[in-house]
Amino acid sequence: MRPARPVRVGAAVLAILLAVLLAGAGRPGPAGAQQPVTLNLYISGDTNIFDLWQKGFIPAFSKRYPQYRVNFVGLMHGNGNDGIYDKLLAAKRAGRRTDVDLWETEPGYVTQGIPEGLWLKLSPRAVPNLAKVPKDVLEAAEYYGLPYRGSSVVIGYNSQFVKTPPKTFDDVVAWIKANPGKFTYCDPNTGGSGQAFVTAAIYRYVDPARYSGKPYDVKDEAAWEQGWKMLRDLQPAMYNNGFHPNGNVAVLQLLAQQNIYMASVWSDMGLDFYTRGQLPKSMRFTQITPPLIGDDARVTLPAGSAHIGGTLVLLNWLLTPEAQNMVINMVAGYPGIDWKYMPASVREKFKDVAKGFAPYPNPKYLADIKRLWHEKVVAAQ
Amino acid sequence: MSAVTVRAAARGAPARRAWKEGALGLALVLPPLMVLVFLIVLPAITAILDTLTPDPTVRGFTPALYTQLLASRIVRSDIVFTVVVTLVSVAVTFALSYPLALYLRFARGRLPAVLAVLFTIPLFVPVVIASFAMITFLVNHGVISTIFYRLGVQRFPPLVYNATGIVLTEVWASLPFAVLILGAGLQAIDGALIDGARDVGAGPLRTFGSIILPLNVTPTMIALTLLFINVFGSFTIPYLVGGNAPQMLGVTMTNYLTQYLRRSEAVTLAVMAFVISAVVGAVYVVSVSRRERGAV
Repeated sequence: MRPARPVRVGAAVLAILLAVLLAGAGRPGPAGAQQPVTLNLYISGDTNIFDLWQKGFIPAFSKRYPQYRVNFVGLMHGNGNDGIYDKLLAAKRAGRRTDVDLWETEPGYVTQGIPEGLWLKLSPRAVPNLAKVPKDVLEAAEYYGLPYRGSSVVIGYNSQFVKTPPKTFDDVVAWIKANPGKFTYCDPNTGGSGQAFVTAAIYRYVDPARYSGKPYDVKDEAAWEQGWKMLRDLQPAMYNNGFHPNGNVAVLQLLAQQNIYMASVWSDMGLDFYTRGQLPKSMRFTQITPPLIGDDARVTLPAGSAHIGGTLVLLNWLLTPEAQNMVINMVAGYPGIDWKYMPASVREKFKDVAKGFAPYPNPKYLADIKRLWHEKVVAAQ
Repeated sequence: MSAVTVRAAARGAPARRAWKEGALGLALVLPPLMVLVFLIVLPAITAILDTLTPDPTVRGFTPALYTQLLASRIVRSDIVFTVVVTLVSVAVTFALSYPLALYLRFARGRLPAVLAVLFTIPLFVPVVIASFAMITFLVNHGVISTIFYRLGVQRFPPLVYNATGIVLTEVWASLPFAVLILGAGLQAIDGALIDGARDVGAGPLRTFGSIILPLNVTPTMIALTLLFINVFGSFTIPYLVGGNAPQMLGVTMTNYLTQYLRRSEAVTLAVMAFVISAVVGAVYVVSVSRRERGAV
């Protein structure tokens, strides 16, 4: 848990707004005569995502399209998403326009809003660069929302101590048993990297597709028993006799201090830590077969937005090499567009990790996985 | 102006002043009273009613949510864990703070003055920072384990991410508060009584047993109850320093609300926590009202 720092975020927003305003004022250009349009972006995420928008996307976009001003509203760790959904729904039902022009949020809200007609359906006609995005990725969200970056959970290992990197989930399990105390995953209540390891154990014995779709039936959870048993049996071989720290970062810190030699970590966070020198030089990341879970981060365009034209320009720009390179360089994310449109050097850097990813369980199953993990794995010790 | 109206005005003036004072008093209490009623009392009542009527289509109250939660072994162990950790934390805090408060009350000179400032430092350190500091200090490869390792102790019990870690951090964080409250109670004891006891030949132990302790029961009870409620309801420390299971109720409730997406269970747990706190709170109210009535 990291406390949000609204004052600093606010100051940063203000500074960037000022910078954008000044940049706009200094360049009259052909668009200078027009009234600039202000786009309001509501972005939920962690500080790395805020930096990506505030220090990467927004300055570059405003430079290229001076006729648009961008107002950035950061929702730290998704705080406030609930209120925004209610606001959009209320505006829709009252038949009013909304000041939310673009929203980056959790998939759950997007799914909820589809039957309400809250979102604009995207198409390559409105956003030409959408043609570069893999079709199945767009279909997964029924063309509501633009997948502009992705990441997945991978296995991070210290090559100084792990000579043969694991290729499958069973390899990982065998390594853990052979090297007690040198592996852990975070409490799945506190981070996706922990959820990935837990779901991998469950998916080991069931068909993932059954739990990632919309239907939900508590009775289907009986099939998870074998997965729970495997996790329970692994507990004594985990770090500190079965301790799972809080949060993705805490696990990276254990890897950094060489308290553990292997863990499940987010690809983007792991690569980012590594690039900054916060992990040992011998750290490596690899995706196993079948892959661990991951997701595409999407931005969604509310149908009631007053500036749809401007927002579509921004969406199209997000899928250009200029913006996609920022995704890779600033947050070590996977590009939203197909890998084949990326430079060879980028493909080389990601070749061990970019192998697709398993689907997230639907939100209800995920909530039950977290609760049952607590009950059947850690409390049963 | 006739004599009659003058007399009437003269009679009305004090009455009007009294009414004005009453209105002013009411106006001053009204804001906190409104906050209490609308943000605490009413939501609490609706929350309790909600937990007793889990299915709005069925009329009448049912304790289903309570029996269902209490039937779960893990919830029961979380409740027991919370109470035990709280009691141990309060006991250790009290054992450390009472002698310190006594020392600060009766010792003279520069050292007590310096100590009085030093022990308040944790009051100004946010619990988040204190918790991370404790982790760095207590974790394996941390300061404490390194010292013991150098001294030749190889096997060392884990001090953090378990109940020990929570107790140590809670004690660290509540010590200044306990010393301040206990100290205030000790300050209230009339110095003349102690001097008098000494004059008739009572030693320090006798003075403590016959004068200080009896006069200090109520402030001590108040300090203990406030400490209990404070530790019992804490979230940050058990979240950061505690283990995966069992967990303290603050963490369990948050998990039910934000992770397991089970709002009514979270509220039910909150009501149970409220009941336990209310029992302890009753001791506080009785102690305070005893003092109000002048029984000290």
